[in-house]
Amino acid sequence: MLQMSWLIPLFPLLSFILLLLFRKSKSESTAWIGVLLTGLSLVMSVGVCLAVWQGEGIKTEGTWFQIGERAITMGFEVNPLNALMLVIVSLVSFLVHLYSKGYMHGDERFGVFFAYLGLFSFAMLGLVLSPNLLQLYMFWELVGLGSFLLIGFYYFKPEAKAAAKKAFVMTRIGDVGLFIGMVLLFWQVGSFEYDEIFATVKNGDISDGMLTLTALCIFVGAVGKSGQLPLHTWLPDAMEGPTPVSALIHAATMVAAGVYLVAAMYPLFQASEAALTVVAVVGGLTAIFAASIGLMQKDIKRVLAYSTVSQLGYMMLALGASGYVAGIFHLTTHAFFKALLFLAAGSVIHAVHTQNIEEMGGLWKKLRLTGPLFLIGALAISGVPLLSGFFSKDEILASTYADGKYGLFWLAVIAAFMTAFYMFRLFFLVFTGEARQEKKDGQKDVHESPSVMTFPMIVLGVLAVVAGYLNTTWFGTFLSDYLARGPVELPHGDHHGPVWIPLVATLASLLGIGLAYLIYQRGTLSRDWITRSFPGLSDVIYNKWYIDEGYDQTVVKGTTGLSKLGALFDRYVVEGLVTAVTTGVQRLGRIGSRLQNGQVQSYGTAAIFGIVILLLIVALTGGYFS
Amino acid sequence: MDLDTLLSFKWSVMAPEFIILGVATLLSLIDLFMKKESSRKPLAWLAGAGVLAALVAIFMQLDLEVTSILYDTYRLDSFSKAFKILLLLGTLLVLVLAASYKKEDIEENRGEFYYLLLSALLGAMMMASSADLITLFVGLELLSLSSYIMAGLERRNKRSNESAFKYVVSGGIATAITLFGISYVFGLTGETNLFMIAQNMQEPELLKHGFLLMFAFIIMFAGLTFKIAAAPLHMWAPDVYEGAPVPVTAFLSVVSKTAGFVILLRVIIITFIAAPGINSDNILLQVQPYIMALAAATMIIGNVTALRQRNIKRMFAYSSIAQAGYILVPFVSNSSLLFELIWFYLLAYLFMNIGAFTIIQILTAQEKSNDISIFRGLFKRSPWLAVPMTFFLLSLAGIPVTAGFVGKFGIFMGALGLEPAHYWLAAVMMATTLVSYLYYFNVIAVMFFRDGEGAKVSVPSGMAAILAFCAVSTIVLGVMPDLALDFFYGNFDINEFFMNIEAVDTHTH
Repeated sequence: MLQMSWLIPLFPLLSFILLLLFRKSKSESTAWIGVLLTGLSLVMSVGVCLAVWQGEGIKTEGTWFQIGERAITMGFEVNPLNALMLVIVSLVSFLVHLYSKGYMHGDERFGVFFAYLGLFSFAMLGLVLSPNLLQLYMFWELVGLGSFLLIGFYYFKPEAKAAAKKAFVMTRIGDVGLFIGMVLLFWQVGSFEYDEIFATVKNGDISDGMLTLTALCIFVGAVGKSGQLPLHTWLPDAMEGPTPVSALIHAATMVAAGVYLVAAMYPLFQASEAALTVVAVVGGLTAIFAASIGLMQKDIKRVLAYSTVSQLGYMMLALGASGYVAGIFHLTTHAFFKALLFLAAGSVIHAVHTQNIEEMGGLWKKLRLTGPLFLIGALAISGVPLLSGFFSKDEILASTYADGKYGLFWLAVIAAFMTAFYMFRLFFLVFTGEARQEKKDGQKDVHESPSVMTFPMIVLGVLAVVAGYLNTTWFGTFLSDYLARGPVELPHGDHHGPVWIPLVATLASLLGIGLAYLIYQRGTLSRDWITRSFPGLSDVIYNKWYIDEGYDQTVVKGTTGLSKLGALFDRYVVEGLVTAVTTGVQRLGRIGSRLQNGQVQSYGTAAIFGIVILLLIVALTGGYFS
Repeated sequence: MDLDTLLSFKWSVMAPEFIILGVATLLSLIDLFMKKESSRKPLAWLAGAGVLAALVAIFMQLDLEVTSILYDTYRLDSFSKAFKILLLLGTLLVLVLAASYKKEDIEENRGEFYYLLLSALLGAMMMASSADLITLFVGLELLSLSSYIMAGLERRNKRSNESAFKYVVSGGIATAITLFGISYVFGLTGETNLFMIAQNMQEPELLKHGFLLMFAFIIMFAGLTFKIAAAPLHMWAPDVYEGAPVPVTAFLSVVSKTAGFVILLRVIIITFIAAPGINSDNILLQVQPYIMALAAATMIIGNVTALRQRNIKRMFAYSSIAQAGYILVPFVSNSSLLFELIWFYLLAYLFMNIGAFTIIQILTAQEKSNDISIFRGLFKRSPWLAVPMTFFLLSLAGIPVTAGFVGKFGIFMGALGLEPAHYWLAAVMMATTLVSYLYYFNVIAVMFFRDGEGAKVSVPSGMAAILAFCAVSTIVLGVMPDLALDFFYGNFDINEFFMNIEAVDTHTH
C-alpha cells in the first residue's frame, strides 16, 4: 500500500488533464471524473493512514539532477504527520468536488472549474508527500498558481481578478522568505532532505544565529500562505472565488500549507527558542486581531474568512508554544468544521442569492438541513463542550499556559469569546428572526440545496462533532500517540494544564454566544413580540431599550471600537505599507521609462556617464587620489 | 608563415564555420540569379540545412581534443563546442520563424536576410572559438554589422529604419568603448593572445599599474555588456527590439546575447583570472562589487521598467535586459559552477524566449498591433497558443516545473553557496523576480481572464513546430534537467577552457 502512495496526488492530476480535454463538453456529468478520481485518492489516503497507524512508514528517493557535485533528489515520504494531512486534504477535496457538482450547476465553464480543482488538489497532495524542502517548494508554488486560477474564476468581475492577483503576489512575498531560508539551510546542511536537516540540527552543527534566521525565513513563507499578520490581506479578498473554492482553500489546502510547513520543519523551530516565540506571538496576535474584525463584517463569507485567519493564528500560537499536537489537532478539527461552515454558507447563498447577512433572516425553517448543520459548525468553532473545536482549542490554551506564555493565553481566551460572539451573531442574523429580504420579481422561493450538496455537509457535520475525540483526556490520546511515531520529538509528554482552563474556555464561549443571543436574538424577538401582542407595555419597551443601550454603550461600543481599530490598522498601516512599496516600485518604473526618451544621444551619454561614474568610484575607493 | 605550416593545421576542426561560410556565399549567389518575383523560401530551407549540417559537424567533434590553429586565433575546446551548440540551435529556430514570416514588406528583401543571418552567426561562432583579441573583435564586428542591417530590413517601415539607426549609433559607441579598453590591455601586456596576456599579467612590472588594469577591466567589461544588453549599455534594446522585424528581435535577444556572454566569459576570465589589481590583490575579486552593482542595476532597471510597458515587444525587451542581469549573477559570484549555470540558463532562455517571440510574431502579424491587448482571451480563442505561452511566461518568471526555474535555482544556489555568500545580490535577484511576476502574470491574466473579440488565430506549420519544440523543451528541462546537465558534464570538460596548448606548441618549435 505504502509503496503506491505516490499515486495519491496523481489521480487529481489525471482529473485535471482529462477535464481540460473535455472542457468543451456541455454535459455536466464530466464532474464525475473529478469526483471519482479524488474519491480514489481519498480511499488510498485512508489506507495509507491506517498502515501508518500500525507503525509503518516509507521514504523513497532518487536523484533528480546533479549540478556540480551536488545531487538534488526527488521522491516521496509517508510519516504520521503527512499521512494525516493526506486524509484531511483528500477528504475535503472529495467533498468539495461533490458539492460543486450542485453548486456550480449551470455555470458556463463548469468543466474548467473541476479541472482547476483537480490541479489544486494535486498540488496540495504533492506538497504533503514531499520528502524535502525543494520539492515542497515546487508544489507550494503550484498551490499558489492553482489558487490564482480558482480565486479569479469569475474573471468577469474586476474584484475577482484583483483578488486573484493579490493572493498570488502577497503569498509570493512569503515564498521569497521560504526560498531564501531553504537555500541557506541547504548550504548549512548540504541537502534539502528533512531527515538530514533534522540530523544536522540535532548534532548542533548549525550556529544559533543561523538556526533562528533560517527558521524565521521559513516562517515568513508560512505567514504568507497561512494568512498571518501582516500578510493576511489577501485571504478575505480571496472570497471572490466561488464558495466551494473558499471551503477548499480555507479549510484543508492552501492556508493549511503554512501550518503544515511549520509542523513539518518543527525540529528546526524547536532548536531556536526565539523562532518559536515569534511564531507564538504572531499567531496569538493574528488570532485576536482577525477575530475582532470578524465582529463587524456584513458579508457572510468575509466573517468566515476572518474567522479562518483567526483560527490559523490559534494553530500557529499552539506550535509556537510547543503544542505540536495541539496545533495539528486544531488543524484537523478546523478543517472539518470550517469546510462545513463554508459549504453551509454556500448553501445559504445558493438559496437566497445574496451574501449580505443583513438581508437574510428566518432561514431556519426554510433550510431544514443547512440550518442545523451550520449550527453544528458554529458550536464547534465556538468551542462548546463535547464538539470537536472544544477539545482542540482547550489543548491549545493548555499548552500556551503550560509554556508560560500567560499574556498570549489570555489573548487567546478573549479571542475565543469573540469567536463565539461573531459566529452566533452570524447564526442568529441568518437563520432566526424574519426574512429581511424583499422578494424580487420572478425569483424562486428559497429552497434547500440538492442532496449532492447536502450530503458532503452531513459528512462534515458528523466529523465536526466526533473529530474532537481523537485526542481527549477521557477517551485516550490517539492523536498524540500517533504523531509521536513521527520524526518530531514531542515537547511535553502530557501537558494538560490546570482543570480550570477548560472551564474558562467554556465560559468564554458561552458568554460570547449568550451575548450574541441577547443582542441579535432576544433583542429583535422581544421588539416584535411587544409591538404585536402587548402594544401598551411601554415599560418593558423602555427596559428593553435600556438594556440595548447599555449593551450599546459598553460591550457593543467597545467591541465596535476594537473592531474599527483593527480595521483601521488593517487599512492604514498594513495596506499603507503595501501601497507604499507598490507605488515606490511604480515611481521607479516611471523614472526608468522617462530616461528612455527615444533619443539615441542620451543613451550614449547615459552609457558614458555610467562608466565614468564607475571609474570614479574605483579611483576614489581604491585611493588613487590619495 | 609558409605554405607548409599553413597546410599542417588541422583545418577540419573549422568544419562548422566553413559550412556556414559556404552556405552563406552560396545563398548570396543564388539570390543574385533568382528572379525578382520568385519566392525566396527555398533560401530559407537551404540556410536551415546549412545550420543543421554545422550542428551535426559539432556533434561529430564532441570527442575531439582541444585543438588550436593559426596560433590560437581559432581554438576548438569544450567551451566553444558547448556554446556553439546554443548559437546554432538558436539560429535554426530563428530561421524557421523567419521562413513563416508573413509581412509583405520584407518579401523583396528576403534573400538578404538569410545570408546576413548566417554571417551574423559566423561572427558569433568565431567569438566562441577564438583566444585572440583581434579575431574575437572581428567576430564581434561581423555579428554587429550583420545585425545592424537586419534590424533595418523593413525598408519602408520607419520604425525599422529608426531601430537600425539607433542600433548602429549605440553599437558604434559600444565598440569604441570596448576597443579603448582593449588598447589598455594591449598597452600593458603587449599581447593580443589571451593566454599570453594572462601570462604577462604576472609580470612584476605590472604590479605598479593596478589602477590602470582596473580601469582597463571596467571599460572593456562595460563595452562588452552592449551585446548582452546589460547596464549601462542597455538602452538601445527596447527601441531596437520594438522596431526590428520579430525574427530579428528574436535573434538579437537570444543568439546575439548568447554570443555576448561567450565573449565576456572568454576575454574576462582567461585574461584576468590571475591578474593583479590595486595593491596586487586578485583583480577579479576586486572588481566584484562593481560587476555586482551592474548586475543589480540591470535586474532592477529591466524588471521595474517592464512593469510600465503596454507594448509587448518593449516589455520583452526589458524582460530580456532583466534576464541578462540574472545571468550576470554567476559571473559575479565566480563559482566553480559558472560555466554550467550560464550554459543551462542560456539554453532554457533560448527555448522560452524564442517560443514567446514566435507567439508574439503570430499575434502582432494578425492583429496589426503591439499592444498587450492582443493577448485578450487567447485561452478561449486559441488554447494551443495560450498554453505554450503560459509555459514560456512561467519559465521566464522562474516558476517550478519549467526550465527557467531550474536555471534560476542554480544561479541562486551558486550565489549563496560561496564563502562569502552574496546575500544582497541574491536578495536583489529574489526581489526583482517578485516584481517580474507582476508583468509576466499580467499577460497570463489577460490571456485567461479576459474575453477576447479577436478572431481565431491561424498558425503556420513551421511556427507550430517551433512552438511545440520550445514548449516541450521548456517543460522537459524543468522536469528532467539532468538531460541537459548530463550531456554537458558527459561531453564537455571545462578545464580545457584554461588549457594553453599553443604555449606548449611554441616551446616544442
